[in-house]
Amino acid sequence: MFRRLMQAVLGVTLLGAAYVAVTMTVAGDRRMLLSGQTTYAHHQLEMACETCHGRSIFASAMTAEKSLNKNCRKCHEDELKAAKNSHSRKRFRNPRMAEYWNKLDARLCTTCHVEHHPEITRASAVTVAMDFCVACHSQGEQDIRTTRASHAGLGFETCATAGCHNFHDNRALFEDFLLGHAARPEPVRPAVHVLAARYLARPGPTDKALERGDAIAPPAALASPDVLGHWAGSGHAQAGVNCTACHAADLAEDAPKAQVLTRWIDVPPMGVCMACHKPQAKTFVMGRHGMRQHPGIAKPRDAQQGLARLGLSRVMPGWMSHWLSDPAVPTWMTVGKARLPMHADADPTMAVDCGSCHGEHNLDTVRAAVEACASCHDDPHTRSYFDSPHHTFWRLEQAGKAPPGSGVSCASCHMPKLEHHRQVRTTHNQNDNLRPNEKMIRTVCLDCHSLGFSLNALADAGLIRKNFAVRPQIHVPSIDWAVARSLSNPDAAEN
Amino acid sequence: MKQIAVAVGFLWSVGVAMTTAWASEGVSYAKVADMLYQVMSANREVYTRVVVQRLTVDEKILTASEHFEDDASLPLPSQMFRFVAEAVLDNTEDFSYSLLSLHPINKKNGPATDLERQGLEHVADSPGESFYGEEELGGERYFSAVYPDYAVVEACVQCHNNHKDSPRRDLSVGEVMGGVVIRIPMD
Repeated sequence: MFRRLMQAVLGVTLLGAAYVAVTMTVAGDRRMLLSGQTTYAHHQLEMACETCHGRSIFASAMTAEKSLNKNCRKCHEDELKAAKNSHSRKRFRNPRMAEYWNKLDARLCTTCHVEHHPEITRASAVTVAMDFCVACHSQGEQDIRTTRASHAGLGFETCATAGCHNFHDNRALFEDFLLGHAARPEPVRPAVHVLAARYLARPGPTDKALERGDAIAPPAALASPDVLGHWAGSGHAQAGVNCTACHAADLAEDAPKAQVLTRWIDVPPMGVCMACHKPQAKTFVMGRHGMRQHPGIAKPRDAQQGLARLGLSRVMPGWMSHWLSDPAVPTWMTVGKARLPMHADADPTMAVDCGSCHGEHNLDTVRAAVEACASCHDDPHTRSYFDSPHHTFWRLEQAGKAPPGSGVSCASCHMPKLEHHRQVRTTHNQNDNLRPNEKMIRTVCLDCHSLGFSLNALADAGLIRKNFAVRPQIHVPSIDWAVARSLSNPDAAEN
Repeated sequence: MKQIAVAVGFLWSVGVAMTTAWASEGVSYAKVADMLYQVMSANREVYTRVVVQRLTVDEKILTASEHFEDDASLPLPSQMFRFVAEAVLDNTEDFSYSLLSLHPINKKNGPATDLERQGLEHVADSPGESFYGEEELGGERYFSAVYPDYAVVEACVQCHNNHKDSPRRDLSVGEVMGGVVIRIPMD
């Protein structure tokens, strides 16, 4: 009996080992091998292990770690560059920084961000202890407690938690910036988002504008008054973009009508949107809504190639072919896959694509800025928005009772207007200025608030839950300390 | 700005190509470091005089400032030097270099190793001389050379003497402000 039991255990063990070996070296679903829950956002692509880990499973530990970090940079380097990364890899690669490599190796993302360890993972996927600054800023010339009198009694666990410092992005927190804004009063109401106002003031309909009668579409589509009406009132019609531009996108604009109707596609792929709206698409795939479309995601492995690499036959029976296939990353993020709280009545299968927020035909940017968000997201911050002064300003603007750009929608803060090469565009990476939240100070808050108010508000977690419905209950002392220090240096000229 | 970057990049390429070719013929580490320093030093002086001094002081077309992106101004010569040093590390690990000082405005630009401190003290105490040595960093052996960095124009002195974080406020033109440290791995 015992012998049979041992044989069974051995058999199951061998089968398990064979499964692991085959799925690791050839192909197959490896999600059951995940060593721990993947962090929020990365969970969307956890079935494509190679995206982060690379394709060489026999690499040394050092090579594997280098490869892993290289892949982090593939997706995140641009945002770190934009953040003027205070602890850039470049700076720490210089051998003169070798002493710091053993303290907190800033050359590697994985020093502070280790995946699959939910038990130690905090906001922004940080997995080191909260007092990580102590590693380098508690000794010698870098000892902040001796070089800043105001910091003498502070604990290192407060550096990055009190609204004063971030490891990467300090664009709105560095001392000269604090000093430059110290004396600036709260702007007079109604304040206006400068770039939003510029965007809204762009030229309106041109002589290219189309009307209902101009629509080129199959009779069934033309018979739908909703679709036709939505299109005729949209920015597409105003800009002279006919139905065929999306539904028969591979044809020339002046192709004969009969040919157009034979090539008609009822539901155009997102690539059609992306072809014209490149900047929006580029940022959309960087955020959590669109990251499953990111070009850096690894394609599924080819099982036949994997077998051939091991010197095995490329010919597989059907059942094996099915078993030995990597699951592809789904094309879209869906509501049901979200880890943030979603409305119970939101369709869990609904994909997050351009049409989810803008609508397929009306391209309603007003709905996309508030109602679309609130139709899925269901958390205290979102719910409180509708009772907040921000929403009041938004309603007044939409009613024409306040200047263009004075309203504050969800998109105003999470998908702000940014200027690039003198062009104002809406970033569609709704996560870009969210973590750490001080990232939104320059691009959003300062248009309407002083720096001091912004720092206080963003450090007040309770206030964020209430969507800034009342004044901040927290005071971040960084501006006071910067001013006090500048006054204590009377010999120094103003910078 | 783009043209300046292209010109600086071209000079760099020529300099690095020359030094690489010489090194392959068995040139000493000191000679390679000396040649690299000549390229760096010339670049630094040309940017300071031909770009910053001309546009900010002579022509008064632009300003140069520490926060050049916010101020839509030119990067300071020391910032330009460091940007290029970081960009070089993106391209090669055959050498690295830094602009350091015993009296840095930013503490991270102070000496981080014993050799850096010795070298910076030597070039400050013995004007015109360089300092050479070897050191082990991160488990690798490096040949390290330290060269004096001078205050070449009044703007250098003004900025350092008036900056709120400057630990020294009595610098004068022609004086050694710090040093350029060049490292070449020996393994």
